[in-house]
Amino acid sequence: MIKIIYGLKMLIRKGGTASAVLSLALLVAIVASMNSLADYMALQVWILGRLTNPSGAYIIVSEDAEAITDSQISVEVSHGLSGIRHVKSIFPQKILLAYLNTNFSTSVVYVRGVNDVDAYLKLRGAYINGTVAKSWNEANVGEVLANALSINVGDEMNLTLNGGSVKIRTVGIFRGQTQSDAEIIVPMEAVNKIFGNNDTVSIIEFYLKEGENSREAISQVARLLPENIKILQSQQLSVFAQQVNGQMLIFLGVWSLTVYAIIAVASYVIAARLIAESRYEFTMLRVLGAEKRYIFALILTYTATTALLGSVLGIALGVAGAQTASTMLRWVNPTVDITPFIEAEQALKTLLLTLASSTLGCVYPALKSARIKYIEQQT
Amino acid sequence: MRLARFRYLKKQRILTLALTLALSSMLFSMTAFSLLGFYRGFTSYLGEEEGVVAIYNVKGGTPFTGLVPIYLAERISVMNGVLASSPEVIVPCIIRGEALFLRGVLPKEFTKLNPLTILEGNMLNLDDFNSIIIGRNIAERLGLKPNNRVLVLGVLADRYLELQVKGIFASNSAIDDEVLAPLYVGQWLRGAGYGQVTLIRFKIDRSLVNPTAIFEEIAKESSEQIPNQGTSETPKPPEESIMPRMIMRFNIEEIGVDEVQKFMSNYIERYGFTRESLLILSATIFLFSGVSIAAAAKTIIIQHKGEINILRSIGASKRLLKRDLLIKILPWSLTSSLIGTAMAISVLTIIQECGYLKVLSHVVPFQLEPLILILNITLVFLLICVIILRYETDL
Repeated sequence: MIKIIYGLKMLIRKGGTASAVLSLALLVAIVASMNSLADYMALQVWILGRLTNPSGAYIIVSEDAEAITDSQISVEVSHGLSGIRHVKSIFPQKILLAYLNTNFSTSVVYVRGVNDVDAYLKLRGAYINGTVAKSWNEANVGEVLANALSINVGDEMNLTLNGGSVKIRTVGIFRGQTQSDAEIIVPMEAVNKIFGNNDTVSIIEFYLKEGENSREAISQVARLLPENIKILQSQQLSVFAQQVNGQMLIFLGVWSLTVYAIIAVASYVIAARLIAESRYEFTMLRVLGAEKRYIFALILTYTATTALLGSVLGIALGVAGAQTASTMLRWVNPTVDITPFIEAEQALKTLLLTLASSTLGCVYPALKSARIKYIEQQT
Repeated sequence: MRLARFRYLKKQRILTLALTLALSSMLFSMTAFSLLGFYRGFTSYLGEEEGVVAIYNVKGGTPFTGLVPIYLAERISVMNGVLASSPEVIVPCIIRGEALFLRGVLPKEFTKLNPLTILEGNMLNLDDFNSIIIGRNIAERLGLKPNNRVLVLGVLADRYLELQVKGIFASNSAIDDEVLAPLYVGQWLRGAGYGQVTLIRFKIDRSLVNPTAIFEEIAKESSEQIPNQGTSETPKPPEESIMPRMIMRFNIEEIGVDEVQKFMSNYIERYGFTRESLLILSATIFLFSGVSIAAAAKTIIIQHKGEINILRSIGASKRLLKRDLLIKILPWSLTSSLIGTAMAISVLTIIQECGYLKVLSHVVPFQLEPLILILNITLVFLLICVIILRYETDL
């Protein structure tokens, strides 16, 4: 070990060391500055994810269902949910595609059966023209659907599916500014009457009480559910932000590989230059009895040291450079507030990858130099 | 004295310099192609044609988050020189776990600005309540076919919808990465009222009308009394009558009117991303790696110190040696920079085809720009000339 340190001291004093460290530092600075911007973006995404309304809607659907209408959940699940103290309200819904026959046309429409139509429409913040459907032969029609099929309050229509049919009367037309505006909302009783199967619903929509720890509440709900059921949050802001950020990180990863390849070649050049410039020193060491292994280790240690110094300097330069650029940008445009920074984990990753690619780059010249006999080195 | 015939430089040693140059050129080209591709994709997102104008909310932090009153579409569409008007709601969403953008449109109006080719299934109509048509890139990525039903989850609002795929389209534009739905579906997912849209695009005859005239018309509209809801001076086409009519008040200071490319470039330039700044950034990255190129060039000279000394001792001047080194190294350098550019194009093509070259869920369209190629060759030429001509120590 002592021998290596003495040898290293001799090599580091050579004139080329400063430029070797600088060349690696500038390459690392490129990666570090990009990573500092990526870390800033990742922080913004994390903050955005935390801003998501924790008391938002959650829906429970079948695990294998691609769409709501494919989903089938036992009504027992909603009974179980009502026993959880974190849950504020529960809306089991049966959603089906049915044929709607009016005086003028036949169309395929979505029919949504709910236990309490009034509560459901209030939840959607709907305005209603007419009254709320209360019995199995009454329905509320969404405004978009009503406009398209010329349905008015008081109109009668037939809902048909799989041979089953029921005559219902439009008692109100509503506007909720959701998908329900293109649907027919009926009491659950009506859906069960036409389509049978009273034991299942399509989805269960539920809301958590305000101020509840959503993670804890959701894990409690999840424990209640059978295996083939999943919970989805209907507003997926953090998922979207994470994916968009991930798209950038994937490209950045591929792009960084090129920089690490240049670092490997630069380290090859550093090692080759060291060998060319230190021919005399290496010959003397061999004459004095140094083993091949020692020469190899010395070159490897020298390159690793320059890579270590270069990466530390490069990370500092890169982050400082990105911060300076963002400050200058803020002077030009005060609305732009970007504060690049680098996570310790990211800095360590950059440092280790630089060391790894540097070592990889210098192995061949180091091996080649160690194998040459000292008589050859003299020539 | 002429040194052209003396082959004193070993190819293996020159290869190290060539490899450094090739990788540096690859890094420069990858950076420049992708950044300029992103810039071009972003600025042409709403169309590249001249004579397409957008009404947008100037206070929106992004082109996707502002809202403007939809009734301006009716008002402006009756102006002389306005050929088509397309109100649109652009909204992020999640479909089958993938982050995407859904655009609520009036299909007939939209296709006047962006012609679509239906590859499978059928074209969308405004009265297809719960239907969507999807771009071919999304269809490939998600494995969707006509008649498939999907669960769409909201991002900006607490919404979930079940929608059926009616068709798959191609447009050879950014819309191939989007989902098109009737306008009101976009409004549901955005959590906006029926009276609001993200933006309104117009196709105009520039000899008859311009963005300033449109803005003046809107300013006049804002100062006038808002008509009662449900009444309209310009009757809607029958298919649009299914949408509830709402007229929203607006503040003229929040409304902007611009050519679509200018509108999009204004957004991106807020963050300092101009075409020139992106090229300078790419060139800076090349110059940072230039120190490694300089080190590789110096190493070649050091490794050939013996040969150079012999040439000097038989009468070769420093000037002659520098000129000869330049003649011998430059072709290698230029060739390797071209190879580097070719490698960058190959890598970008591969990652684009694998679906990894995306920004905001849209594929970044990179093009072979001659400017990048010329800049790369010029930078390499200058760098090698400076390194060799300024090198003194060992010659």
